[in-house]
Parts: sequence; C-alpha cells; structure tokens
Amino acid sequence: MAAFRVRLQEFDETLNAEVIDMKRFRKLCFNGCPYEQSYRSTCWKLLLNYLPRERSTWKQVEEKQRKTYAQFIDEMIIKPGVKASQDGVICDVTFEDHPLNPNPDSKWAAYFRDNEMLVQIDKDCRRLCPDLNFFQKATEFPSIDLVCGNNKVDTLRKRVEQCVLRSETVATNRLGISNMRTSRLRSNSEGYATLAEGQEAHWEVCERILFIYAKLNPGLGYVQGMNEILGPLYYVFASDPSRELREHAETDSFFCFTNLMSEIRDNFIKTLDETQLGIGSLMNKMMIMLEDKDATLCHKLQEQELKPQFFAFRWLTLLFSQEFPLPDVLRIWDSLFSDEKRFSFLICVACAMLILLRDDLIQGDFPSNMKLVQNFPHSIIDVQTVIKKAVELAR
Amino acid sequence: MAKKTYDLLFKLLLIGDSGVGKTCLLFRFSDDAFNTTFISTIGIDFKIKTVELGGKKIKLQIWDTAGQERFHTITTSYYRGAMGIMLVYDITNGKTFENISKWLRNIDEHANEDVEKMILGNKCDMEDKRQVPKERGDGIAREHGIPFLETSAKANINVEKAFMDLAQAILNKTPGRDAEPRGVQMDHRESGGKKGCC
Repeated sequence: MAAFRVRLQEFDETLNAEVIDMKRFRKLCFNGCPYEQSYRSTCWKLLLNYLPRERSTWKQVEEKQRKTYAQFIDEMIIKPGVKASQDGVICDVTFEDHPLNPNPDSKWAAYFRDNEMLVQIDKDCRRLCPDLNFFQKATEFPSIDLVCGNNKVDTLRKRVEQCVLRSETVATNRLGISNMRTSRLRSNSEGYATLAEGQEAHWEVCERILFIYAKLNPGLGYVQGMNEILGPLYYVFASDPSRELREHAETDSFFCFTNLMSEIRDNFIKTLDETQLGIGSLMNKMMIMLEDKDATLCHKLQEQELKPQFFAFRWLTLLFSQEFPLPDVLRIWDSLFSDEKRFSFLICVACAMLILLRDDLIQGDFPSNMKLVQNFPHSIIDVQTVIKKAVELAR
Repeated sequence: MAKKTYDLLFKLLLIGDSGVGKTCLLFRFSDDAFNTTFISTIGIDFKIKTVELGGKKIKLQIWDTAGQERFHTITTSYYRGAMGIMLVYDITNGKTFENISKWLRNIDEHANEDVEKMILGNKCDMEDKRQVPKERGDGIAREHGIPFLETSAKANINVEKAFMDLAQAILNKTPGRDAEPRGVQMDHRESGGKKGCC
C-alpha cells in the first residue's frame, strides 16, 4: 500500500509540473496508470497528444476542442437531419434536390450513403464489449442538442431504425412486381433493450463518435474493428472518477481516438495490406522478431502453416482489445501508449504471448494450436506476466 | 505422434455479409447454444467439431470469416483450402440476399472448382421482419444448382442439418474413404469429375 502511495505521489509530482517531463512521465505510465484521481484519463490524453506538455494551456485546449466537436455534431448530424425532416414533410420533386434525385452529388444521395455506413456502425456498437453491462447503460451526459433539443433531429440509432424500415416496405416478387409489405418498426430488435425517451446509451455515444470520424475521413470511412479501438478509450473517459471529466467523455474520446487512429489507421486500409505500411508488414515484423527470439517456435508455426493472418491480424489491428478482459486491455494500452517508438512494443507483446504459450504450441497439432492463439488463456497467463515477458524481449 | 481420433478431415468456410449470423450459426452447431451478443468477427475465427457420418468419424474444421469488404484480402486466402462453403444471408435484410451473387462470384474466383456449396437464409424465426421470401432463396439456389435451407441459430432450426448435409456432400465425393486426413483434399480433387458435370 505504501508503494502504491509513493507511485501516486510520483504521478502527482510529474503531472503538476509547469511543463511535463515527458521522458519521466512515459516511464511512469509504462508501468501502469492508476485509475485513482483521474490519472489514467489525463495520462492517456497526454500520451495521445491531445493535451500539450504545458499544463497552463490545458483548459484552453480543451475548451477549443469541445467547441470544435460541437460544431462537427451540428454540421454532420443536426443540419442534415433538420433538412431531412423538413424535406421529408414537404417533398416536392420540383425542388432542386429531393430524395429520388439520381445525381450522385445530390445531398440526398449522400444522406442515403451515410445511412448505409451508419447501419454497419450501429450493428457493431450495439455489440461492443458484450460481457460488460456498461455500454448498454444510459450515459449521464447525453448529447443535449440531439436528445433533449427541440430541433426534432433523430438520434443516429433512430435514423438507422427508420432506414431499415424504409427498405422493408417494398418487396419485389419473382415476376418483378413490387408490392408494399407492411412490417413493424424494428425497434427493440434482437432483444436489445431500448432506453426511455431523452436517454442515450453509452454505445450510442460511441456510434456518434465513429460516424463523425468516418464523415471526416471519407477515404477511410468506417472499418469494422474501429469500434474495438474506441471502446476502451471511451470507457476510460466515461467511467472516470471525476464528474467534470465524465461530462466531456465524448469529446475527449473523439480526439484521442482520432489521434490514435492517425498512428494505426494504415492497419485498417485494405490496399496497404501488402505494402510496407500495412498490417501485412506488421505481421512480418512479428514473425521476424519471433524467429530471432525463439527460432524453434517460429519454425513450428511455419511448418504447421499456422499463419499470423489467422490470429495476429486481430491481435495487432485491435491492439489486443479482443484478447483480454477490459481491465487488462487498459493496462496493456498504458504501456503501448507510453512506448516512444510507437508501436514497437506492440510487436514485443505479441511475441511474448506466443513465447509464453511455447510449450503447448510445440506439442500441439494445428487445430489445438489455432484454438490456443485465438483464445489466449489470460486466466492462466496473466497480463503482468505478458508485459514482463514483452519488456524482456524489448531489451 | 498422437493417435488419430478421426477418419477424415473436412475444411468448411462460412461467408456472407456482416451481421447475418455466421458466428451464431457456428456457435449453435459447435456448442449448441445461442448468444445475441457476439462481438464482430475481425479477420477469421476457427472452430472444430467431430461428427459421425456413414460410420466414419469426421473432424470438421470450420472457419468463420468477417463480413466487411475490408477483410476480403485476408479471408479469400482460406477459400482455396476449403472443401465446403456455407453462404449465409439474413432473411430480414434484403441487401444481404442481393449480395449472395457477389459472394458466389468470390467463390468462383478463389475457391477450388469442385468445392461443395450451400446457401443459408438465416434468422428464419423472425417471420414478422422477413424481407426475403423463401422462394427467392430457393430460386437463386436452383439457378446455381446449390442446396438451400432456411435456418435459425436462435430457434435452432436446420443448423445441424445444414452442416451435416454439407459434410455428407463432401463425403459422397470422397473415394475409398481411406482414413488419411492429410490426403483427403487431394483425393477429393481427383474425384471432381466423378459427378459428371462436364
């Protein structure tokens, strides 16, 4: 307990400096950021370059970013939403732009394209960290403009439900005759509880963040797995002990996510898979390191044709967020984010996981080895052991 | 070497749009349970189930793929080794059915010519939300000469049958059925002409 207090004090000293000594700070964070006194939130914001080293500027930076984010919501969700609901009521095809406008530049065409992307985001956010109740619960801080506002804009969840309903109403039979099918609204679909009016679940906030990110990054858009990167970030900010920090969890998560993605986005881009930048080369690096550290194990995997694509693709793209329970993920991310040569420690962790499974992998046949690497036995080999081994490999 | 606990090894692959229920179907088949709250599959997942068919112990190695376009470069590399492919759509989502022809083209491009296929219309317990009439599933299946079933992982309808039918179709093509798992794929390839399609 005494050691813990000393650690907290160290964090205190480092963070209270006028200009933060990043080298010392990274070293501290590498060994784990405490949840107490909002340390982890603050540390991650610094490590992900959301907050600058100069403490005195924090307030100003945060205020500016909060305004920027509010503007994003206004431009990308509220304004198009208001337009949609107005035009939906008075829909005159003599207008310049209307829902059936076949012109690809039509605002309506863009609105429908967005909806397609939104359906995917919606599906993935609903199933975010399902073993945790947190994302299904209502946030204390729903988007005031959207949920409580008077501008009659649907939340993204409702927009998805409606667009599913719309596409449900017409069915074409085999003779090519279209007929209207009546069908109930898809609310409460597939057993998900819907919250009362005026409330918003945490997963809906995540949905909005991902939607805005995808709109701002049209070249990348939304790729499955981004939800698993956002999830832990959002969880840290939205479950912070400080009410003030919780209140701004959405903005903070958005910018930290954006900054983190700027470093790992190449892993999500299909066309980069086979290049120096993409996930393929990251998996190669892992195998090269494994060969260097444990050639026998590396050759065993190669001989068995247990390719890194079968497991390391997920490990590395998602920064292990599907391999460990959430608290362990947060601990691993403390170290990953503190890594000055981001993300070389990522490779070390992956190799450490393999080497810790070495005895079983050498003995096992292909299917049992596949099972093992796809379901890392985190209850037997705990996260501290993994990190310790990874540090050893990094030397 | 460990003693072999099976006579034949069949590699199966599940493909289809995101959210149609591939992982749920596999979970129902392998663990006989249903879970509405599956995380999205990233890259590829893997399950093993040993079944008995025609007096043979058959080990099914089933690969579950991610649906989104982004993962196609990774997932198509498994097509080649697959002996059976399950093509899944969601009967409550017309778009996933329209994409079946896209998935069929993918199979043509990347899989072995004689791979056994099966089309599944999943979520057939949700009759009130149905968008794809059963006849349309039947239609596309007949057009391509592929068996078709409507399934529900949730209500446990036709799931076992789907996997067993596919395994049976592969078994029917396996000559001699001598228990040498490593060689199965090759034997299977050579027997491709036996069905006399061309």
